Amino acid sequence: MFKLLKTVIKTGEATKKYPFAPLEVCEDFRGKPELDAEQCLSCGACTRACPANALIMETDVKTGTRRWELSMARCIYCGRCEEVCPTKAITLSQNFELAVTRKEDLYEEAVFSLADCCQCGRPFVARKLLEYVLDTLAQSGVTGEQLKLRRQQLETCPECRRSNNMLDSENISHLRYLEEEL
Amino acid sequence: MTNNTVELYSTKPQQGRIGKQYVDGVNHFFPSAIIDEEWQTENQVTITVKMTALVEVMKWLYYDQGGWLAVTFGNDERSLNGHFAVYHSLSMEGEVKSWVTVKVLVDADSQEFVSVTPTIPAAVWGEREVRDMYGLHPVGLPDERRLVLPDDWPEDLHPLRKDAMDYRQRPQPTSETETYQFDNQLGNDSNRIVPVGPLHITSDEPGHFRLFVDGEDIVDADYRMFYVHRGMEKLAETRMGYQEVAQLTDRVCGICGFTHSVGYSNTIENALSVDVPFRAKMIRTVLLEVERLHSHLLNIGLSSHFVGFDSGFMQFFRVREKTMELAELLTGARKTYGMNLIGGVRRDFLKDQRLKGIALVREVRKTFSELVDVLLATPNIESRIAGVGILAKDIARDFSPVGPLIRASGFKRDARIVHGQSLESYGDVPFELQSMENGDVQSRVMVRIGEVFDSLNIVEYGLDHLPAGAILTEGFDYVPNKFALGFTEAPRGENVHWSMTGDNQKLFRWRCRAATYANWPTLRYMLRGNTVADAPLIIGSLDPCYSCTDRVTIVDTKKKRSKTIPYKAIEQYSINRKHSPFKL
Repeated sequence: MFKLLKTVIKTGEATKKYPFAPLEVCEDFRGKPELDAEQCLSCGACTRACPANALIMETDVKTGTRRWELSMARCIYCGRCEEVCPTKAITLSQNFELAVTRKEDLYEEAVFSLADCCQCGRPFVARKLLEYVLDTLAQSGVTGEQLKLRRQQLETCPECRRSNNMLDSENISHLRYLEEEL
Repeated sequence: MTNNTVELYSTKPQQGRIGKQYVDGVNHFFPSAIIDEEWQTENQVTITVKMTALVEVMKWLYYDQGGWLAVTFGNDERSLNGHFAVYHSLSMEGEVKSWVTVKVLVDADSQEFVSVTPTIPAAVWGEREVRDMYGLHPVGLPDERRLVLPDDWPEDLHPLRKDAMDYRQRPQPTSETETYQFDNQLGNDSNRIVPVGPLHITSDEPGHFRLFVDGEDIVDADYRMFYVHRGMEKLAETRMGYQEVAQLTDRVCGICGFTHSVGYSNTIENALSVDVPFRAKMIRTVLLEVERLHSHLLNIGLSSHFVGFDSGFMQFFRVREKTMELAELLTGARKTYGMNLIGGVRRDFLKDQRLKGIALVREVRKTFSELVDVLLATPNIESRIAGVGILAKDIARDFSPVGPLIRASGFKRDARIVHGQSLESYGDVPFELQSMENGDVQSRVMVRIGEVFDSLNIVEYGLDHLPAGAILTEGFDYVPNKFALGFTEAPRGENVHWSMTGDNQKLFRWRCRAATYANWPTLRYMLRGNTVADAPLIIGSLDPCYSCTDRVTIVDTKKKRSKTIPYKAIEQYSINRKHSPFKL
């Protein structure tokens, strides 16, 4: 009994003043995921990795946009999105005070514009992703005519590319190996 | 431990077959009983036996060879071999420590299999669950009641059959009332019934208890769980990929989720022979022990609370908070560590975290030893916990319980020691198996106290001796229909997982057996002969998690009167043992 009292007095105050004083969390605490939309390519890697389906990505062909959405009602703060992001656009912040009074406030979104297919005119790929790929190619030494050809290829949607390959079009050269000899 | 880069990966001897003599023994004593023999890892074998030999083979392995039944489960293998299958996994803890899984094929038309429960009572819950989930009929199973499915579930719908239902569908309820029959084995109709529930006192899931009492003494007890069955196994099989399930398993339990996550990851790693780097193994080991720390401190705190020593309860929770900080420091979250991937862990321990972690461990060790002295010197503790809620040795042997519960009854069962060589880094860390002989609540508390010190040592050792190297193995291929067991020693006992890979980047079957699932069937025997006031203490000593929303209703069967008492009242009665709320 005496020992217990001694322990109690020695300990003093064990509790913290939270929520009236801020609560410190560890440096690498996994809190709310924050998206840096500038940095995001809307590649969709995070939506594939998310175990809880908290992240979704929807393409709207009519407006030519792609929407990224995070539902804080589903997020489990595992940080898989941060881990798989190729451009480090998502980081888990230290914010853990996430209660809201309106359900709509649980959702966060970012809208990205899409590039149109140069043949059929339908939007199919995020403009930033396309430019990123082309910039990477240019950086790696692809120039001039080659780069132009690549741009044309990449700006063609998968459906058009498929039909180009199936049907007789300018993409297909029947004399691939002997053309120069002739 | 090694810091040598050459030894980054563990090596598995190909020719080693630990436990081969069990298979040879079965072949010797039961000629031509084995149809097929398949090795998953060097110490895991699955033997398919003829249905007619099942009971005898199981009896020989269990009672003669020191086997303990870890898990019983079914599988719908009609798309693979035209049959259903029932598996009984045994942890062999005789002279040679290994795992033997006995499998029987169940005819897809007759859908009947021989029950082993009359011989080995430990199989009772597993077989009842197989009947519910697969609709296979266990011939000879004495208990005909449902286990998992609710009363209003249709008779002929068995959720885990591959052709049964989508995981998002729910059938129309077939009944308005509860039809479950509670079973009073020792008493008669003159006993008063004290129902506890439907949300139970100390359980991690709502459960309904019936205490059959004669005055203050408990004659018998029966109970029913699975009110919040979440259908995780079905969900994992139909919606999630392999890596996502590792996150799902983190959420099996709110207290010891990480052990489930490690157990699941181990099943796939064992099935596909993925070598996990040493560093990842040590990180997992350290975190498993961090989880044990906070869980045991919670239970020791609650034990103080149940006997009315509330200042002790608060002191233990003050120390426990430090272990929660330790978890946050090392993983980034207080609970649901989310660290596991198939093949290793996602996040490394950095030097700074290791130093801070060791400092925290030393602080906890110091304060905890002081508090243990205080607890044990408190005069009324011993009188409340000694000799209460005894788990007899023969009951323990028959029902294969796990964790501090069985170690307090004199059996040296601890997966970290028994199967330590194939369980993460437990073969390399210093600790001893804690066991006591008396089998009462006091022994369980003492076992837990001993284990807290062990865990502190393991965490400190692991943080100090963290091997260098990679933390994740990547680039392996998933092969369809490979299966294996994974097991960990959770704070409450051994968690056993079994998975079979599928051909669509999803699991074909995942079976998760949490520690408390193995412990519940023994509770009835521990409650018998004790007083109602000790019931919360005994149930608490099993260390199920806590749900504060429950109430107790008393029914006097003679006077036809009933009275509902809030949980607080029965808790107060447990603490004061005065002013019984049960008097009508």
